[in-house]
Amino acid sequence: MKKLLVLLFSFVLVFTLAACNSSSSTSSEETKPKEDKKDEPVTLRIAWWGSQPRHDYTLKIIEMYQEKYPNVKIEAEYAAWDDYWKKLAPQAAANELPDIIQMDLSYFSQYAQNDQIADLSKYVGKEINTKDISDNVMDGGKVGDKLYGINTGVNVVGFHYDPALLKKAGVDSIDENWTWDDYKEIATKAKDAGLFIDTGMKADVFFNYYLRTLGKSLYSKDGTTLGYKDDKMFEEFFNMTAGLVKDKAVPTPDYLAQLKGLEDSPLVTNSGIGVYQWSNQFVGLQQVANRELAIAPMPGPDSDKGLYLKPAMFWSVGNNSENKEEAAKFIDFMINDIEANKLNLGDRGVPGSSVVKDALKPLLSPAQVQVFDYVDWAEGNSSAFDGPDPVGAGQVIETLDSLSEQMAYGNLSVKDAAKQFRQQAESILSQNKK
Amino acid sequence: MSTRVIKENVNADVTIRPISKKSRILKENLTGYAFISPFIIGFLAFTLIPIIASLYLSFTNYNLFAAPKWVGFDNYVKMFTADPRYWQSLKVTLIYVLGGVPLRLAFALLIALILNTASRAVGVYRTLFYLPSLIGGSVAVAIMWRNVFGDVGIVNILLDFFGLTAVRWFGNPTAALWMLIFLSVWQFGSSMLIFLAGLKGIPKSYYEAASVDGANGIQQFFKITLPMLSPVILFNTVMQTIAAFMTFVPAFIISKGTGGPLDGTLLYSLYLFLQGFEFFNMGYASAMAWIMLIIVGLLTVIIFTTSKYWVHYESEGGK
Amino acid sequence: MALKLKTPRWWIYHILVGGFALIMLYPVIWLVMSSFKPSDTIFITAKSLIPDTFIWTNFIEGWKGIGGNTFGHFIKNTAILVVITLIGQVISSAVIAFGFARLEFKGKAFWFGIMMVTLMLPHDVVMVPQYIIFSKLGWLNSIKPLAIPAYFGHPFFIFMLVQFIRTIPRELDEAAIIDGCGTFKIFSKIIMPLIKPSLATVAIFSFYWTWESLLGPVLYLNSPTKYTVSMALNMFLSNETVSNWGAMFAMSVVSLIPVFIIFFLFQRHVVEGISTSGLKG
Repeated sequence: MKKLLVLLFSFVLVFTLAACNSSSSTSSEETKPKEDKKDEPVTLRIAWWGSQPRHDYTLKIIEMYQEKYPNVKIEAEYAAWDDYWKKLAPQAAANELPDIIQMDLSYFSQYAQNDQIADLSKYVGKEINTKDISDNVMDGGKVGDKLYGINTGVNVVGFHYDPALLKKAGVDSIDENWTWDDYKEIATKAKDAGLFIDTGMKADVFFNYYLRTLGKSLYSKDGTTLGYKDDKMFEEFFNMTAGLVKDKAVPTPDYLAQLKGLEDSPLVTNSGIGVYQWSNQFVGLQQVANRELAIAPMPGPDSDKGLYLKPAMFWSVGNNSENKEEAAKFIDFMINDIEANKLNLGDRGVPGSSVVKDALKPLLSPAQVQVFDYVDWAEGNSSAFDGPDPVGAGQVIETLDSLSEQMAYGNLSVKDAAKQFRQQAESILSQNKK
Repeated sequence: MSTRVIKENVNADVTIRPISKKSRILKENLTGYAFISPFIIGFLAFTLIPIIASLYLSFTNYNLFAAPKWVGFDNYVKMFTADPRYWQSLKVTLIYVLGGVPLRLAFALLIALILNTASRAVGVYRTLFYLPSLIGGSVAVAIMWRNVFGDVGIVNILLDFFGLTAVRWFGNPTAALWMLIFLSVWQFGSSMLIFLAGLKGIPKSYYEAASVDGANGIQQFFKITLPMLSPVILFNTVMQTIAAFMTFVPAFIISKGTGGPLDGTLLYSLYLFLQGFEFFNMGYASAMAWIMLIIVGLLTVIIFTTSKYWVHYESEGGK
Repeated sequence: MALKLKTPRWWIYHILVGGFALIMLYPVIWLVMSSFKPSDTIFITAKSLIPDTFIWTNFIEGWKGIGGNTFGHFIKNTAILVVITLIGQVISSAVIAFGFARLEFKGKAFWFGIMMVTLMLPHDVVMVPQYIIFSKLGWLNSIKPLAIPAYFGHPFFIFMLVQFIRTIPRELDEAAIIDGCGTFKIFSKIIMPLIKPSLATVAIFSFYWTWESLLGPVLYLNSPTKYTVSMALNMFLSNETVSNWGAMFAMSVVSLIPVFIIFFLFQRHVVEGISTSGLKG
């Protein structure tokens, strides 16, 4: 019996190690020079998450590509967001990743640093044409000096609001250069008019923005610690947000928890002036609210230091792919081909290519034009992106969310939260030290 | 009394005398293994290696993508000494199990007793009472539940009607956990169905004999129904306890995958999932799984041990 | 019978039980009603149960399905999987359960213990190694990893059937042995008919659990043409923009219908079974 167990155990060891090491073995096969036969039949797997319109237009883009290159067959594997990530992790563990993968920023480092997705630098300028895309946009896909993903487009954070409700609160307009003090003032006016100013700020996104305006960032450059030293910054920011909740200018977290979705959110039901969110969420919000909305930049001072062009998503190539060049060619098609992008219409973020952007403008709906204009404006009024979040960021964000929830409930003082956050986050991030 | 009824019909004392004891034992073993062989083959082929792998991984630092690194008992030590969320998830899960399982079983048994007649109308009721369980863990449940327990939902309207204060079910950690328990009690259908099948296995003759002896309904329930149903009660208790410990889907969909508010619905399985697939600490998740196995295993052993005193197997001639 | 039923007691029974059923069913009724409301008003008019006007567009929209596959296609996929799985689980679990409940052999307690352990270890941590096994077998993107294991028994059903078989008096087997029946005959001719109610229960559970299962299909089915109902339902939702709630509700209702019918047909066998044939005695 004992012998049997030892045998089994060693078998398992060999087995798991084999499974994990085969990624390196496939990539060494990859380096063998491939004969460049243009018309050799190729099958590519492509995976993405999203909703119905995205599935429909992406399938059309695939069809278009297959007509152009009859030797290429593309198998689409699309799913809902939650299901998508449940699929992808075991596929990575088993070296069964699709050739082309739609990647989200929050999982990007995890897949990149473990070499699950390929470095695309060598295809840039060859299979992938990037001459119409600014470096600022391209650099979003870099981890270290390797390029693990091609940006599908960019999003910029902002304040999306209903101008009519703003007037009701006694404020005529929001100035492009508004500040936190203006924001607090408007919030007070909103409260007096029986309105919520917004629905709170997603802690990690907006705290990071705030830190950037002060010249810091949430994570340090090497990702092994927090990017700010002085907990005063934490206290200032969260005193403001928690204070607004206490003053009833922003709904309490238990109120927000009761909401079912966009459809009964305060702005849509005419009880809240605006929402702080990413530019790609504007069109959906406008559609549900079904009235004219506006976009204001983030409050300053120094909003240009705080704002950045966030990669909406990436196209990455699975490291176990045997057809990396072909995969790269299709990615090029998706980001540069004008006809393909006419189907897409900025659904995966405002395109990085200036040529594509100009070609799309006449086709956009009024709300989409607002988004494109805002992103255009932001390009000249923002600073470089800090790069993808380090490994472990998911857990850090979860910690921050949980602490900010406790602060909003009034269960935890801001001072204590600052200390706890530093301690817990640094313990998670310190694991990235080599 | 019950066994007497049957023994009169069958000469139970007659058993076959084996030719050779050794060959009979061999044959018995072979037949036994032949019958359970599908399980053994399936287990060896699909389950054994993953189980051993997970045990091994629980002593490593494994992020799913890179080779595991041996860390000894680090994961276990961290779990018990340096992870308050782990304790929170354990606490929440225990409340969920101890609150939910007895309620759900009692409820299921009560409804099963009420619906244990063969008329067509009752068949419709059985189907209706089972309906909530059929909706299961789909996304529709989450939305439906948000509506029922929402600010202007039916539950709060009723609370208000009876002069009680409305509750922010999704915003209050304790209330949210109880909402999960209500959800599990509401979906009592599977336990009810098993009870029904068990009730039907009780021969009518026993009740007839008992009425002849002058036993009333309540006496019959305690003297016949409960003992005869006890193997099924044991099954339901064990399985519901295990299932409750494993509950994941309702907590995931109702808290939108976070275990909130304030970790109030952070069930063990949900936290394990977050560790494994959101934070990519598969080694830590594996360690959590093995601790869960020990906890649930101990509970099951306890239930089985006590079952000697309250479970009645007809095939084993009473106790 | 019908005459006897209409007593005051009958009325009380039906008012109480029916009324209670109605309360239990309120959320379900809400779900059904919502599927007739326009997608964007479902939450706003949540308080009023009955829609102002019944519209069918959600059903038409939803039935069109996703990416060129109609919802009917997903139902067909699911039905095939369900039937293959159900046959395997019922037969194999019954055979194995008989072995555990009625036969004496060395190591029985050990294997039973192992079986219970497989129930108690959270699936998340065995998932990845299991996935690797199935990938080495070349079973990915097919229903094989979902259906084939069904033919090796399902611990829940095995344990359940064991408990039911143990409630059957052994005297029956012994009588059969005297009549010259072998072990297999006892299994097929004596025990099987007697546990028909519990087999019907297993069939109901097996049908429904496979029907609603999400994780297995998500892991192993890659091509959308192979997706099951539960995956398709999730695809109506969006984490970025507007979800198609109406279609999701409508198709949830549609996907409930087969399970509902199966349950209604099978539940009769759960409660009839031996009570009509009657145990000797």
